[in-house]
Amino acid sequence: MLRNLFLFAAATAAVPAFAQADPSVSLASDVMVERTTVGPDGRTQVSLEEPSTVVPGDKLVFVLRYRNNGRQPAADFVVTNPLPAAVAFQGSNDGSAQLSVDGGRSWGAIGDLMVTEGDGTRRAARMEDVTHVRWTFAQPIPAGEAGRLMFRGVVR
Amino acid sequence: MSFTDISRFSGPKQTVGYALLLGVSSLAMVPEAALAAGTRAGTLIENTASATYDVGPTQISVDSNTNTVRVDELINAVVDWSDSADVMTLPGSTGQVLAFSVTNNGNGEESFSLSTISTLGGDDYDPTVTSIVIDDGDGIYEPGQDTVYIPGPNDPVLLPDASVTIFVLSTTPAGAGDGDRGGVQLIAASRTGTGAPGTSFSGRGEGGGDAVLGTTGGDGSDDGFYSVSAASVSLVKSASVLNQFGNANPIPGATVTYTIVATTTGSGSLANLAINDAVPTGTTYVPGSLRLGSTALTDAADADAGRFASNAITVSLGTVPGGQSRTVTFQVTIN
Repeated sequence: MLRNLFLFAAATAAVPAFAQADPSVSLASDVMVERTTVGPDGRTQVSLEEPSTVVPGDKLVFVLRYRNNGRQPAADFVVTNPLPAAVAFQGSNDGSAQLSVDGGRSWGAIGDLMVTEGDGTRRAARMEDVTHVRWTFAQPIPAGEAGRLMFRGVVR
Repeated sequence: MSFTDISRFSGPKQTVGYALLLGVSSLAMVPEAALAAGTRAGTLIENTASATYDVGPTQISVDSNTNTVRVDELINAVVDWSDSADVMTLPGSTGQVLAFSVTNNGNGEESFSLSTISTLGGDDYDPTVTSIVIDDGDGIYEPGQDTVYIPGPNDPVLLPDASVTIFVLSTTPAGAGDGDRGGVQLIAASRTGTGAPGTSFSGRGEGGGDAVLGTTGGDGSDDGFYSVSAASVSLVKSASVLNQFGNANPIPGATVTYTIVATTTGSGSLANLAINDAVPTGTTYVPGSLRLGSTALTDAADADAGRFASNAITVSLGTVPGGQSRTVTFQVTIN
């Protein structure tokens, strides 16, 4: 697995230091591939594996883990994940995620969102139109608290 | 890995800022297109999440690590026989053309070897394949312009979703009978490898990843068919004599009317069918007596179907389908 250090370097250089307060919440991302195998007894087994070999049509599970390592609660906690262009969204693990199909300008449940086609016609949004997924926490995360968020996608 | 085991996190890379929320997105290494074959092999799927939160009056932004997954190459070859119906052929005919399409349904550029099998079950005869020809792009077989396939040097190399027309040329055995069907299978096999679907070739994929065999197992095939459409002709010649005394004794001066009935059979047709008959020794052709059915034909070599020359009659019937008959009559007198 490659790590794109370049992106981090560019991002750090481009953005002026704004907040010097304790950046105490950690956020980690993991990608797994969901494999379905049929065992010798004919039962279907689903397993999550490291994505060593991934081809179009494979199901990916994205896991985001957060932890408040600081001594103060983190309020108004919002986690946003832009979807890689090659991944079609397949849903989040709970109903709390908000979705965007327009690059993060507007948000809502999939049934509330519309897509404007190239010819100007508008239609109801589908899962594969999702460009961003976001979780907005109503309650502050207490010091020491951790949790995880999850969504699924399929390689286009 | 357990999802709740926080202590096993790799150290998160943190970036403090305020404008990053939507700024870190995925980058594609290979230009991506919306294709049936899917994301191009070698494309990097890079995922980064970001979070914002407030500690007291201060808003803080944090990015996650970036997960990078390279899309591997999926190999899928699809072969389709593209003639709309059986290709009609005749016993003994050479260079009989079947058309196929070979399509790369994978997500990476791939080269394919081509081969044929003509010993298929369920048909009536085995065509003899003489060559495989790669079309120049117009879908029409042109002997001078299209390329005769040589395994290896000119294996078709196809981009994802691209296809090429392949012609298979065969000889129909002389012994094939009317209505017989003969099949040829064209096989396109990935040069990366073939095997059971899901077989992986480490590092052999486009863009440096693995190559994985798709549902076709790296090779595709389809059967194309010829159908023998033969026709034959049988000639029956009869004579009737009428002498000057009103009876059928063949004495000098008697008139003999020859009737030749040509009957065609079979599902095909006979091209340029002509009936020739020499005037028998000891007889003399009666000028102007040649007829096709009830139509009189002139003796001159002109626009009508018949002529008399070199002491023989000729009637050109053109192309006659199977299952028809033509009747030619002419008269001679006994010397």
